[in-house]
Amino acid sequence: MLKRIEDWNYYELLSVERTASQDEIWAAYQAALTTYRDGSLAVYGLVTEAERGLILERIQEAFQTLRDAKKRKDYDLALLRHAAYFPPKAPFRKSVGKVEIEDIPPKNTLWARLRRIFFRNP
Amino acid sequence: MDKRIWAIGGGKGGTGKSFVAASLGLHLASLDREVVLVDADLGAPNLHTLLGIKASHPDLGDFLTNNVPSLEEAAVETPYRGLRIVKGSENILFIANLNHYKKLRLLRQLRQLKTQNVILDLGTGSSFNTLDFFLSANPGVVVATPEPTAIENTYLFLKSCIMRVLKLYMDHYKIQDLHQKMLDQIEKNSQSLYGFFKSLMENDRSYGTILYRALRAFRPCLVMNKTRDERDVLLGRSVADVARKYLLIDMKYLGAVPYDDDVHESLRGLKPFYLEHKDSAAARAIRQMSEELAYSIEFTLRTPPEIRLPDV
Repeated sequence: MLKRIEDWNYYELLSVERTASQDEIWAAYQAALTTYRDGSLAVYGLVTEAERGLILERIQEAFQTLRDAKKRKDYDLALLRHAAYFPPKAPFRKSVGKVEIEDIPPKNTLWARLRRIFFRNP
Repeated sequence: MDKRIWAIGGGKGGTGKSFVAASLGLHLASLDREVVLVDADLGAPNLHTLLGIKASHPDLGDFLTNNVPSLEEAAVETPYRGLRIVKGSENILFIANLNHYKKLRLLRQLRQLKTQNVILDLGTGSSFNTLDFFLSANPGVVVATPEPTAIENTYLFLKSCIMRVLKLYMDHYKIQDLHQKMLDQIEKNSQSLYGFFKSLMENDRSYGTILYRALRAFRPCLVMNKTRDERDVLLGRSVADVARKYLLIDMKYLGAVPYDDDVHESLRGLKPFYLEHKDSAAARAIRQMSEELAYSIEFTLRTPPEIRLPDV
């Protein structure tokens, strides 16, 4: 995972899991603001003013997106389209090709319905 | 079970490296563990004073000058059950300028010590000796204080460690020509480490991958010492986050040790603070930190690869 700060996604930027609750996001946002605020000791000697401004802007953007349920859903979908995501705490991975297979409801197509009628154990 | 070697280091003097090392040693010994504290601060040793012990022989200098055959024999008993110490040498001047073979011998003998826990108290600065001792440990603990000078030196120390790790791997894989390129490039700005890896990945992906994995295996811990309020405690977390983003290393924040005037008093009385004030907030923080270090499955499972030192 070699990425420039500009390429970090909002979750990486705030150092939270993608399953983080609103409270966790709020806490992470506050922590990030403390880290990159003006005159912060944490960036002393390593990060320039311009870089600090840039990352602070990105953090605001990340928080504005993740606090809004609809915006967050759209963002998550966009991320998923880009690359599959597996929660790190999952005990095992069911499939590598499909995304979160256990969350996908069974398909209710015509063929599936016919199969249920004609075959007892489809 | 694996031998645990912890190194307590940092870029700036006076941050409390020896204090943290002594307190961790005393805490582990109080849990009936066998611990050897090694005063590897070759230039200015004083770990024994923090434990209330007078300087005496044999010490590390005797081992380095071959007066005692092994480090095991230089590890002397202390008044505290389970705790032994290899004292630093105050009699042999210029011992800090260890040559390569003496350093290798010391590193080898550290691994052969007959104890489960070894705690190295390192000196200040970013000399190759200090860095190699720090990198040989699993994990290395950086002690900082909430002051701009200490933070600045902490980042410098971490950068030096990173450069050293990459240099060792470059030497091992016979790609020394990359080293000068790295030195030229990395000094530029905070994003330069990323820039270096990016260009390396584009030019030679296999070496880029090796070096990047080496960098990710370097996982130091951070302790914020002498904190006075909640802001100082949070600063440690922020520093770990900044190191993760800009220096690309996985740094773990172990916690903060609050400032305590009694540390000074204990030192004047030549008595170990940890045993004198077991119920103080600072002692509690040390206990919590040692548990974090000792029981962290993460660190026992993901041990870094053995670093082979370059031959001279």
